[in-house]
Amino acid sequence: MTDDAAPHISFATRHRKVLLGGFSVAIFFIAWQATFLFVPFNPLFISKPNLILDSFVEMLFSGDLLHDLAVSGVPFLYGFTAAVVVGVSVGVVMGWRVRVGYALDPLMTVFYASPLVALAPLVIVFFGVGVSGKAIIIFLLSVFPFIFNTAAGVRAIDRLLINVVRSMGGTEKDLYLKVIVPGVLPYIVAGARIAVGRGLIGILVGEFFAASEGIGYAIARFGDLFALDKMFACILAIMIIAVVLTEGIRWAERAAFPWRIGQ
Amino acid sequence: MSESHALKADIAADDDLVTPGRTGWQRFESTLYGAGSIVVLLLVWEIVPHLITISAGTKLFFTTPSQIGGTLWTMFATGTIWKPLGVSASGFSLGLVLAIAVGLPLGVLIGRSRTLNAMFDPFITAFNATPRLVFLPLLMLWFGLGLGSKVVIVFIGALFPILINTYEGVRNTDRVLVNVVRSFGASEWDVARLVVVPNAMPYIIAGLRLAIGRAVLGVVVAEFFGSESGLGVMMVQAAGRYQVAVVFAGLIVFAALSLAMTALVQILENRLSRWRPQHAGNE
Repeated sequence: MTDDAAPHISFATRHRKVLLGGFSVAIFFIAWQATFLFVPFNPLFISKPNLILDSFVEMLFSGDLLHDLAVSGVPFLYGFTAAVVVGVSVGVVMGWRVRVGYALDPLMTVFYASPLVALAPLVIVFFGVGVSGKAIIIFLLSVFPFIFNTAAGVRAIDRLLINVVRSMGGTEKDLYLKVIVPGVLPYIVAGARIAVGRGLIGILVGEFFAASEGIGYAIARFGDLFALDKMFACILAIMIIAVVLTEGIRWAERAAFPWRIGQ
Repeated sequence: MSESHALKADIAADDDLVTPGRTGWQRFESTLYGAGSIVVLLLVWEIVPHLITISAGTKLFFTTPSQIGGTLWTMFATGTIWKPLGVSASGFSLGLVLAIAVGLPLGVLIGRSRTLNAMFDPFITAFNATPRLVFLPLLMLWFGLGLGSKVVIVFIGALFPILINTYEGVRNTDRVLVNVVRSFGASEWDVARLVVVPNAMPYIIAGLRLAIGRAVLGVVVAEFFGSESGLGVMMVQAAGRYQVAVVFAGLIVFAALSLAMTALVQILENRLSRWRPQHAGNE
């Protein structure tokens, strides 16, 4: 925001954005709740905020929600870690070796542009409905942001900086710690932000298909059971996690790489 | 501004694929390597079953590029592809058109009004971070197993890239231009029509490109879980019957759909930005 918050400006003006945002969220939920004072409430079709909150709290304290989240978290962790490792290594090579970049760029673009989610039924049939199948779907979806962003980061490193470090007698270690890692890391973290969203899609697709537990399975099952309050509670949980992850990474970016702001 | 970050990162993910300023030889070299690697991959894939013996169990899951090509050819020659493709394409286009019809005006509105921006921001941040797929079971309850739920899932998938990019483009409009038009007595509608939207066009186009990807994704998942017909349904059924070539053929058709739409947007972009002075020198 461009407006400077000078000290003499009133509290309401200074926090206008947050206040207005909170106000509209409150209005939204109040309107949702109040609608059913006038409209007949059909629990098989829609739920009410107070019922959703009750289910959320109940599932949180009974441990069901945490159990499902933990079950989904394991393949996410495996798939995402593999995506980081593979994506960053491939990206570094693609960015560093010009000809490797030429060779892999179109191929990777084709993969990135095609809806790889479409391979999910095949992956599930091949690897089963357990951890490995889900982890592979998550890996497939989240590896490409890492590849492209790492390659872009390596390409964006100023060759002059490398020469300066070398001229000043810097070792390879200095080169990596002072130039390459600080240069590439912001790109990788930005890639991670995109990859998190795709990884979450991977979990949901994997578990909607075939699973016996997990948060995606819970949403699908509560939908089948017409337990809409519980279904909304699970959706709420996913929303909270997604926002915390994306905004958390964004916050970490701002804190760790302040020189990147505004770029 | 949190949205601007998302926008730039998203654009970067697409646009960094093009490295500018290559000489003739470099361009030739890059094409050679690029095409070469794809050809090599296809060849290796094709001859693997001839080199090593694949066990009968694995063979069920294995296919070759020639089989996939043959399947595609048969599907188009016999015309079996048209019906599912038509179902998928109608869901895709209806959802995308709706997303543009809502996202564009809403983006302009919240870009022009600080109050509206502050009020919509929490919702946009929350829905944009959440994979819209979580709403699929709910949408299936509300809209049934047909076109309805598919259109809605495509719509909510494609809405946010368009909305956020339009907003961002509107925010970056030159204040001077707005003030000039206003001084000449323009209404808010005129400002939007004459200054804001034309200026935001590159952002909107970039958002549209992202939206196409999201829309294809929406069609695929909607058909996987809650449809009776369409390409996605065809693929799930094929995977269940171990017809791997059909799954890959479907993937290729989806990819082609998304590439064709992206090319269309590119043409649109060239047409719409013809008046831009800095654009004349490029390309």
